[in-house]
Amino acid sequence: MRALTVFVALCVAGLAAVAPVLGQEGHPLKGSWIGTWESNATHGADVLVVLDWDGRNITGTINPGTDNIAIRNATLNPDGWRVHLEADAKDRAGADLTYVIDGTIENISFHNRSVVGTWKSQRGSGRFEISRQ
Amino acid sequence: MPSGARSKTWRARVAALPALAPTLTVALTLAGLLVAVETPSAHHPIPAKFDDTQPVTLTGVVTLVDWRNPHVHVFVNVRGGGNGGNGGNAGNVGNVVNWAVELESPIELRRHGWAHDDVQPGDEVSVQGIAARDGSRQVWARSMVLSGTGRAVFHIVPEAPRAPLASRPTPRWPDGQPRLGPLPGGVQGYWADPSSTVLAQQGIDVQMDRWGLLGNIADASRVAPLQPWARALYEVRQRRFLQDDPTYLNCKPEGGPRKFQSPYGVQFVEDRERQRIFVLIGGSNSNFQIIYLDGRSQVGQVGGDDDNPLYFGRSVAQWEGDTLVVDTRGFNEDFWFTNGGLPHTNQLHLIERFTRSNFDTLRYDVTIDDPGAYTRSWSSGWNLRWIAGEDLPRHLCQDNRP
Repeated sequence: MRALTVFVALCVAGLAAVAPVLGQEGHPLKGSWIGTWESNATHGADVLVVLDWDGRNITGTINPGTDNIAIRNATLNPDGWRVHLEADAKDRAGADLTYVIDGTIENISFHNRSVVGTWKSQRGSGRFEISRQ
Repeated sequence: MPSGARSKTWRARVAALPALAPTLTVALTLAGLLVAVETPSAHHPIPAKFDDTQPVTLTGVVTLVDWRNPHVHVFVNVRGGGNGGNGGNAGNVGNVVNWAVELESPIELRRHGWAHDDVQPGDEVSVQGIAARDGSRQVWARSMVLSGTGRAVFHIVPEAPRAPLASRPTPRWPDGQPRLGPLPGGVQGYWADPSSTVLAQQGIDVQMDRWGLLGNIADASRVAPLQPWARALYEVRQRRFLQDDPTYLNCKPEGGPRKFQSPYGVQFVEDRERQRIFVLIGGSNSNFQIIYLDGRSQVGQVGGDDDNPLYFGRSVAQWEGDTLVVDTRGFNEDFWFTNGGLPHTNQLHLIERFTRSNFDTLRYDVTIDDPGAYTRSWSSGWNLRWIAGEDLPRHLCQDNRP
C-alpha cells in the first residue's frame, strides 16, 4: 500500500514537473498537496491531499485512489492561516480511525506554499507537512 | 559623489579614468545590469520594488541606455557610491559604483516627447529618485537632469485631468448601432485614460494609489464585500506592496475589468459579419478577448486547460439599446483581476456594460458576482476616453525583466 502511495505521489510530482508553471491565486487551500505525515505506521509516511473550495466549504480527500480517506471536516482560520482537517479512515484490520491534522499555512503568497503542523489518530501522532503543487 | 556641473565629452571622461577604465566601466554596467535583471520582483508595480520614503540623489556618468519594455533603464557610474542602497560588492570597482536608474516605459517616455538618444553614454546626469526596498543599487527616477545644460530629460510631468471635449455625437453603423471601434476609412483610435485605475465598490471613497495600494490597510474591508479569507489574502498582498502580482511577475493577462484600467488602453475590433468583437489589450502581454454576439451559450470547461487557459473567461453579449451587455464566466484563478490584488475564484461571473455616450466617452459598468470570494455581488464603473488618430500602443511585458 505504501509503495502504491509513493508511486501515485511520484506520478503527480512528475506531472507537476513537466506542466507549465501556473499560479493558483484563488482560495489558499485549493489544490493538490504532497508531503509527509511522519511516523504514520498505518498509512505510510507519504501523503497526498487534494482540497477544493466551493465558496462555503473546504472539501477534499487524503491519498485519492489508494487509501482514499475522505476529509469530514476542514476549516481555515485566516487569523494566522490556521488549518484544521478531520478525516475518517480504517486501519489495516478494518477498525475505524480518525485523523486530526492541525497546522498553519507558511509562505501564503507563494504558489508552492506549505501547511506545517501535526497529525494525530488513535494509532499515533507526528509531524505533518505538505506543499502545494 | 561627483557634482560637477560642467559638461564633458565621453572621451575626456574616459581619459581621466585609469587605464582600465573602459573595461571596468563595461564590467560595472554588466554587473549593474545583472542586479537589475535578477531582481526577484522582475517586472513590477513601482511600490513593490521601490520605497517612496527613501529618497536617493545621484550624479554620475551614463554608461548605457537600455531603451526597452517594460521599463527603460539608464546605467550610471557614480564616484563615491551615491547615497542610499547597500548593494553588496556587485558593481563596485574602486570607488566607482554602477547604479541602475529605472524609468517609465518607452511608450510613456515617447508620449512625453523623449527619444532613446536624448541621453547617451558619456553624458553626466543628476538623478533624484527613490531607493529599492532591497537595498540594491537601483533607483526609480523622479527626475534626471543633464549636468551640462540643466535640461530635464526622460521626465514625465503628471498630466492634469483633460478638459472635456466638445460633445460629438456617437458614431454609428448604418443600422444605428453605436460603433465601439475605429471608424471606417482607416481612422485609428482606441480607449484609454480610465477615470479610475482602481476597483472598489460603487460609492465607497477609499484612498489608493494608481497601482491599487491602499493608503490605509484598515480600509481593506471597505473596498469590496470580501469573505474573511479573501480579505486576509488581500491584506497580505497589500502588505507585500503587490510584489506577487502575476501580471508583473509572469506577464499573466489582465483578465476581467483590470484591462479597462490599464494606462495602455484597449481597442475594439467589431467583426459584425461573424457576430463577434475582439478586445485588443494594450497592456500586460498584449493579448485579446473575444466577445460573441451570435447567441451561443457559454460552453467549455470552466476550470480551464492548457490550450485555452481562460484568463478572459467565456464572453457572450447582446445589445440593449445603445449598451453592449457582456456576460462572462469561466475564469481561471491564475491572475489578479484588479490592480491592488482583490482575490477571485473560478466562480467569478461578470456582467459588463459598455455605453458610448458620445464620440469620445465610453462608460464602463461592471457587476462582480463571485460567491467563492465575496459575500454578495457588487458593482463599480468608470469612463474611458477615445484616443483619436492613434493605434493601440504595444507595451510588451517580458518575464524576468524589471
